[in-house]
Amino acid sequence: MSFSPLIDTLVEALRCLPGVGPKSAQRMALHLLERDREGGQTLAEALKAAMAGVGHCRRCRNFSEQEHCAICTDTRRDESLICVVESPADVVAVEQSGSYRGRYFVLMGHLSPIDGIGPEEIGLHLLQERVRQSDVEEVILATNPTVEGEATAFYLTELLRPDGIKVSRIAHGVPLGGELEYVDGGTLAHALSGRRLVEPG
Amino acid sequence: MRVSLQQAYVLHTRAFRDSSLLVELFTREHGRVSMVAKGVKGGTRRKSSGGSQAALLQPFVPLLCSWVGRSDLKTSTGCEARGTGPGLVGRRLYCGLYINELLSRLLHHYDAHEALYDVYEESLQRLARESELDLLLRQFEFRLLEELGYGFELSQEGLSGEPLSETGWYVFHQEHGLIAADAQPGADMPSFSGADLLAISRGEFNVELRRTAKRLMRQALAPHLGDKPLKSRELFRKQA
Repeated sequence: MSFSPLIDTLVEALRCLPGVGPKSAQRMALHLLERDREGGQTLAEALKAAMAGVGHCRRCRNFSEQEHCAICTDTRRDESLICVVESPADVVAVEQSGSYRGRYFVLMGHLSPIDGIGPEEIGLHLLQERVRQSDVEEVILATNPTVEGEATAFYLTELLRPDGIKVSRIAHGVPLGGELEYVDGGTLAHALSGRRLVEPG
Repeated sequence: MRVSLQQAYVLHTRAFRDSSLLVELFTREHGRVSMVAKGVKGGTRRKSSGGSQAALLQPFVPLLCSWVGRSDLKTSTGCEARGTGPGLVGRRLYCGLYINELLSRLLHHYDAHEALYDVYEESLQRLARESELDLLLRQFEFRLLEELGYGFELSQEGLSGEPLSETGWYVFHQEHGLIAADAQPGADMPSFSGADLLAISRGEFNVELRRTAKRLMRQALAPHLGDKPLKSRELFRKQA
């Protein structure tokens, strides 16, 4: 059955969210209309403001409503380190680890020829310019350990090395609390080839 | 329809919903297959299947795949590794991506190409150890066209069927293959010398001939690729 046109439009619009099918979209729409008009208003305003106001930081390409994002303007951060990640969610993940105090560069994707994404589309020339203009000493490649992520990492290495920049790649290995028995062969091979000498305690 | 433990390679994956992947496979007996692998992303580890499926569903890893489904999009019922991948890095990885892009642009769904599958598998293994990557790519392109029914003779004139002459000049024609340059007057296609073509057909390559072979294969592939350029070629460009 169908509702009035306005409700139908709302249900249809909610389906743009990931993991929301017709049934959940209908449930959300009805919930907002029946029980939470105020929440619905807030959501509508927040959505509108965010869609209009959020752009990309001009230095790191992360989402930001200012010209430069909070991380790029934070003077306590280490200028000489740049961590290259694929998505804003990766920035959050690295930030939550609490072990990194440098800057970021967000590619918003990875090299994926089949999807039509080449070096230009992920702003690699921007990164090269930024590295040349500031006192960057080391670029940490934290792209995902997938085939596309590795291709991106290699492309970046070739791009940056001629400028005399130290380029490093994050380590791949067994997750903490994991069991060797259940780790896939590829990861285990990486973990073995990237092993470290045990330092005397 | 249920298919189990098919030899396959992943050509490409794409995120789908929260934790699923849309996977393009090149399988030995069913050709190119699209399937959805549910719940494999985001650290979901099924202990029974021996580790994360997302780690397995990567290009260049030899797999045994099972799927069900009657529509064009199948549903994965599990994949296991048939060995370890060739471990391509750097330029070799670019070449692998190029081959995968070619296959996903040129192969039709559910057209089996067993011989091509074997060539693909062999090419991946050679890609990991050989140093002359461009020759390997040219051979793969040639075999690919042959298997798809667009092959042409390197040592015969396409219209007359006579052997190429060392002194002749030839142009590439989409339907007839190599034809004598004067048989198609007014064609502005760049031509190839008979001596070069004969050397290539004998498998002799020097720097100049490699460039010629590349030009020839580009012309031969172009009509089948349409007007969208191959994106992986950008990876090989000299960086400023």
